[in-house]
Amino acid sequence: MKTGLKGLDPRSKLVLVLCLSTLGVFIQDIGILTAVLCVSIALSTASGSRLFVLIRKFRRILWLFVAIAVIQSIFAPSGRVLVSLGGIKLITAGGLYKGVAMVLRMSIVMVSATIMATSNSREIVQGLVQWKVPYEIAFMVSVAIRFLPLLTDEIKNVVTAVQLRGIELDRIPARQRVKVYSYLIMPVVSGAVIKSRELATTMETRAFRAYPKRTSYMVLTMQRIDYTVIITSLITSILTLILYIKC
Amino acid sequence: MTVPLEVRDIWYGYPGGKGDVLKGVNLAVERGEVLAVVGLSGSGKSTLCYCLSGIVPHIYQGNLRGQTLIKGTPTTSMKIPEIATRLGIVFQEPDNQLFSPTVEDEVAFGPENLCLSREEIGERLELALKQVGMEGFRFGSPNQLSGGQKQLIALASVLSLDPEILIFDEAMSQIDEQGKAGIKSVIVGLKERDKTIVMIEHDFDNLDVADRVLLLRDGVLQPFEGRL
Repeated sequence: MKTGLKGLDPRSKLVLVLCLSTLGVFIQDIGILTAVLCVSIALSTASGSRLFVLIRKFRRILWLFVAIAVIQSIFAPSGRVLVSLGGIKLITAGGLYKGVAMVLRMSIVMVSATIMATSNSREIVQGLVQWKVPYEIAFMVSVAIRFLPLLTDEIKNVVTAVQLRGIELDRIPARQRVKVYSYLIMPVVSGAVIKSRELATTMETRAFRAYPKRTSYMVLTMQRIDYTVIITSLITSILTLILYIKC
Repeated sequence: MTVPLEVRDIWYGYPGGKGDVLKGVNLAVERGEVLAVVGLSGSGKSTLCYCLSGIVPHIYQGNLRGQTLIKGTPTTSMKIPEIATRLGIVFQEPDNQLFSPTVEDEVAFGPENLCLSREEIGERLELALKQVGMEGFRFGSPNQLSGGQKQLIALASVLSLDPEILIFDEAMSQIDEQGKAGIKSVIVGLKERDKTIVMIEHDFDNLDVADRVLLLRDGVLQPFEGRL
């Protein structure tokens, strides 16, 4: 049995994630954003998420973060010029500050989202349903989560099939590569359409939407720790925002 | 006595398709009978399944003539959920039939839709998993199962609706020998419990559990004489 943060109700996790993300979106100060990120990392780890495995998995995308910081710095210049090229301000202190803030903000949203990943999709659906979200909408989210890895596999299979026909994607010019990828869209999309159609048929043949309501075999019950987490998250977030706005 | 499953002079063509895929199919399957339908790819086997299970015309429209009767009631006058409680279908591709994070959720999905009480859902869940011999996997993820095990879970999900008629649309085509043996032993068990079963097959090795074999060739149903 899961205990502590690991055993939280998905609804408590959702409130926690919403509070952290809201702080990340509204706050501009790098110091506070760093603190929120540290709290997010601590909570994510305590809730049993595989945060560091995920970071390793998505390490290629981390370059995107650096690129965003630089681009932000170029397009929103302010303050002291740090790097310039022929009179054009490339990196400014103010721009860099905004870029770093943007990266911190994105990191907070992503890290806090990993807290949700510690609940399985059925628990999340049930949490939303018990919050009176229509089952169809909650279920749609769950199916999307379930089929995303299958879609990724399908894309990999199609790319492998192309490579097996003698096209070395790594060695051909970028323009040609884009052309090859455009050819891959059709089989991937048609595969996804067929899959979704078969899935819908399966669901219908299992009496989906037989009645306006349905029974849930799984029932989630909030524990004392859930209420504690929800109340603490909301109060802390509201106080932080009030203090931030006033100072 | 009313036959559990009957097809009367079915003609069917897909919308935009060239002509009819099924051409005057007549069929009656008795209670406790295992009927196998064999045929080459494109002969209309899966289309026949769709017509038997009410998927045609309720989900896939097209040009349908003739009638499919489930216990004497035409499928055209029944809604899909109503059909689901009388007839269950297991498809070819295991991955496209499993959409829940745990085996328990998957098998409970159908009874939940029928608004049964939680106690009854629990009983049906246990029984369905026991019937397919997968009780030990109840809290596991379907993603971590083999093809044969996935197909058994898909079958358990259908059995939890407690249908009298079961259709297997090439359900053994994507699984290994061990998986096939598992499915076949479940079919034998279901036959012993007087369930009416239609198996669509292309592999002759799987016909040993069938009481009767028919051949579907170019949309026409005929006696099977050992060759396609």
